[in-house]
Amino acid sequence: MSEKRRKVMLVPCSGLGKSLGTVSREAAYEVLEDLRPAETGLAPLSLLVLGDEATRAAVADNVAVAIDGCKLACASKMVAESGGQVARGFAVLDAYRRHREFKPRGIAELNEGGRKLAHALAEEIAAAVDALSKDEEEQHA
Amino acid sequence: MTDVLEFTLDKFKFEVPTDRYYSEEGLWVLPEGDDRVRIGLSDFVQQRSGDVAFAQITAEGATVGLDDEVAVIETIKVDVYFNAPVAGEIVAVNPEMDVAPEAINQDPYGEGWLAVIEAEDWEADRGRLLDPQAYFEGMKEEAQEDARTL
Repeated sequence: MSEKRRKVMLVPCSGLGKSLGTVSREAAYEVLEDLRPAETGLAPLSLLVLGDEATRAAVADNVAVAIDGCKLACASKMVAESGGQVARGFAVLDAYRRHREFKPRGIAELNEGGRKLAHALAEEIAAAVDALSKDEEEQHA
Repeated sequence: MTDVLEFTLDKFKFEVPTDRYYSEEGLWVLPEGDDRVRIGLSDFVQQRSGDVAFAQITAEGATVGLDDEVAVIETIKVDVYFNAPVAGEIVAVNPEMDVAPEAINQDPYGEGWLAVIEAEDWEADRGRLLDPQAYFEGMKEEAQEDARTL
């Protein structure tokens, strides 16, 4: 009998009305839909806050990557409160410090800088997903 | 221990230590003797500006006049420019500003200091600054105005 290999659950910021939150979510969507669809799943923060059992279990039973919008770090905190552990944490503000040329503006729709920052962050997250997936493979080898 | 004036508005609490002076734009000025003053951002200004991504401070050794720019604070929301509250020579710049400018948000009156200025005429410049109570009253009005307009 083989254990089921765990996915990487992406937990982005739910900050509606803030550019940082939008960058966080757009980055998560890009990883989920385009960059690493087979390896990742999405855990909406709102469902974790509401205590949705399936979402909490998905976070607790898989590998969690938190993508926080700001220093409040709600995504990281909710992973812990859901019984999970943050295997890798990202913060949009830190990503902006690494990519100062991409200044995000806009909320419902990001400006070009915001879209580029989300893409750059998505690439970083994808690399982290690769490393975490490799660790999973080695544990099941 | 330093006394602190506090103002709470909704979920926000703003602190104003009483051991220092303030410029109208929200820089604090702490006399350290020998005409030297340490400067930084008030709690209200750092909270209003948001998470600091970058802080650019005028270089050590430079001389600044009262209307000269001494710091630019860049957050995701805004770029805020600050003029020197005291004329003189910049004799120290907080090295943390290059590597961890979030110290401004985490500890605006302590580890988040910006620079030390050796004042040319501290007695004259002090007269242009606000005492803690005067800054506190103005800050309260600004915070309430912000709350009304947001």
